[in-house]
Amino acid sequence: MGPLNIEPTEFTPKINFDPESSTFEISGFSRPENVIGFYRPILKWLEEYNEKVLSQNITFEKSLLTINLKMTYFNSASSKFLLDILLEFMKFHSKGNKVEINWYYEDGDDEILESGEEMADMLGYAFNLIPY
Amino acid sequence: MSNRENILGHYGPLSYDEIGFLLNRMSAYVDRQGMNITIKKKVYSAMVESLENVYKHQDIINGDTEYQPRFTLFLDNKCFSMFVSNSVLNKKAVSLKERLDKVNQLDLKGLKELYKQTILSGNVSPKGGAGLGIINIAKVSENKIGYNFEPISSEHAYFTINIEISLK
Repeated sequence: MGPLNIEPTEFTPKINFDPESSTFEISGFSRPENVIGFYRPILKWLEEYNEKVLSQNITFEKSLLTINLKMTYFNSASSKFLLDILLEFMKFHSKGNKVEINWYYEDGDDEILESGEEMADMLGYAFNLIPY
Repeated sequence: MSNRENILGHYGPLSYDEIGFLLNRMSAYVDRQGMNITIKKKVYSAMVESLENVYKHQDIINGDTEYQPRFTLFLDNKCFSMFVSNSVLNKKAVSLKERLDKVNQLDLKGLKELYKQTILSGNVSPKGGAGLGIINIAKVSENKIGYNFEPISSEHAYFTINIEISLK
C-alpha cells in the first residue's frame, strides 16, 4: 500500500502517512472550509491500511506505529476529526500494535499544549508532549 | 474607556477568504505589540469560531443593507473585546440562547467536561459544525459571553455576541 501525502494549504494541514516506516504525520494549520471533505478520505485511508497492512501481519511481533502531530492551530470542527483519526489508532492498539503518539507544541503555546493534554485525556492514552 | 482602541472591523457578507484576511491582520497586530503566543491563540480561536459560525449560519435577509454580518475587535488595557453580529432566524434563537446560557453557567472545569462529552458523542453536521464552537469560545475567553437578539421582523433577529479575552 502506498503512502498518503497531502500538501499543506493556507487552510489545511500537511498529511504524510507512510506504511513502510509506520509513521503518520499531521502538521500545520487546520480550518478547512469543507472539513468533512478534507478528513473523511484520511479516515477511509486508515480503514484500508488496517485491512491491507495491519490485518495481514500475522506474526507475533506487531508493528510500532508512530504518530507525529505538530499542529500550529486547528478549529473545533477539525478537533473532532483529529480525535476520530486517533481513535482509529486506538483500535489498532487494541489489536496488539504498539502506538506512540508524539504531540509537538511551540514552546510557550499553552493552547496547543492544553489541547494535547485534553486529547490524551479523552483517549485515555498517554501522549509524549514535546516542546520545540 | 478612554484608551479603548478599535483594531479591526468588517461589515457585509463574509467569505472564507475574508475570515482569513481578518485573522492575518489580527495576528500581525498582536505580533507588532509583542504580546505572547497564548493571548494570540485565544483571540485567534474566538475569532475563528465566531466568524465561521456567521459564515455557516448567516441567514441573510435579501436586499437588506442594515443587518449584514458585522465584526469589530477592540483592545483596552485589560482585554480584547470582540463583537460579532449576524441576522438569524427567530426559530434558531431559542436553542442558541440555551447553549449560551449553559456555557455561561459553567466554570473552566465544567466547560472542559462539556467539550469532552460533546466531541465524544456529537456528530459533525452537514455544514461541518461539531457543536463545539460556542464551548470553545467560552473556554478560551474564560469570561461570560455577552449576547443580544435585536428583533428585526417576525422571522429574523440581529444576533450579537460579545467575547472578552483578558490580557493576563
